[in-house]
Amino acid sequence: ARAQPKKKKKVDVKREQAQKERMKKKIRKLEKAASEMIPIEDFMTPPKYLESKRVRSLPPLSSEEIERRVLLMKKWSLYKQKQDEAEKKAIQTLVASQQAALKELRLESEELYQAAIKRDEGLFPFERDGPNYTPPLPDYDPPEGKCTDITKVYTQ
Amino acid sequence: AVAAAAPRRLFGALCLLRLPRITQPMRREEEEVAALMGQIELEKSRYSDHELRKLEEEEQLRRRRESGYDDDEGPGQTVIMAQDLEDKWEQKLQRFRAAPRVTDADKNNIRTSLERKLDSNLMLLVKQKIGDQELWLLPQAEWQPGETLRSTAERALAASLGDRIQAKFLGNAPYGHYKYKFPRAIRTEDNMGAKVFFFKAFLQSNDLSQAELKEDFLWVTKDELGDYLKSEYLKKVNRFLLD
Repeated sequence: ARAQPKKKKKVDVKREQAQKERMKKKIRKLEKAASEMIPIEDFMTPPKYLESKRVRSLPPLSSEEIERRVLLMKKWSLYKQKQDEAEKKAIQTLVASQQAALKELRLESEELYQAAIKRDEGLFPFERDGPNYTPPLPDYDPPEGKCTDITKVYTQ
Repeated sequence: AVAAAAPRRLFGALCLLRLPRITQPMRREEEEVAALMGQIELEKSRYSDHELRKLEEEEQLRRRRESGYDDDEGPGQTVIMAQDLEDKWEQKLQRFRAAPRVTDADKNNIRTSLERKLDSNLMLLVKQKIGDQELWLLPQAEWQPGETLRSTAERALAASLGDRIQAKFLGNAPYGHYKYKFPRAIRTEDNMGAKVFFFKAFLQSNDLSQAELKEDFLWVTKDELGDYLKSEYLKKVNRFLLD
């Protein structure tokens, strides 16, 4: 009658320990196995859009059209290059003007100069609404509607 | 004497910019390339469900016409075709009237209005008395000891447009400077001339009904600055204006 409870305790403890180790092993195995990557839906074309009936039938491009396109692209790269150079030059003049102003300020007063080169904490985060195509209508009442979001959310 | 240390009066001036509210019109090259990009996108695309439906219905109509209306539509079977939907959408678009991009202020060249030239930056110019001349310049105020130059510029803003106008200053540092010597008649040992330091700020409040306008003012674009500012001053101001 006395020996039995002792056995139970030992066996129980051993059994519990064995169970814990088995669980830990399983957890370690799951963690070692590489977790599934979240699929990027934009990169996967749904199969229904790859059917042949969906292929557009347009007349083939003539050689004049191809040449016009190539020449237009060359003109565009030149236009964009000039635009980029002008922007960079404008930024350089702006920075140079600021440096010159700071130099002049230093000549006037060291104290004002130190106040001017301090970081402006209130500047960032800087928010601005971009320009639209038409200015806002003064008394516009937008039509009502409901928007249901069906984006799939994946968790790892 | 040490010319560099000759003291000058300091002024803080403010270039207050109203940012553009609408996009600029596309240049000719940009329009051509935009059309080309649209064409290429169309060529690379596949038919959408709506387009497939439209093609099928056109096929059906054509077949029905060729077979001479053999199988008439069932009694009272009104089918909405894709083409009808497109017409309905087109009509709805036509009924909508957007606000005009060229406002009345543009047409009448009202330079005191903020509604002019909605696609470019507008700068505030005020008429101030310098010495014995009334000049058009960027609003400026004289620096008082004990304040930073940026506070001087903020004071200049309050002096010309009142307290209620909100402006976002772009940093503590000046963007440009303009120095000039007083004419000999006024020049003294202590007052050789003046230095004006320009600060830039973006106008945040949209309407000026809250503004208390104390002086003659104008809102002008970068190209129109030449009509009002003197050449040396204009040169210094143009250096820090991006447009």
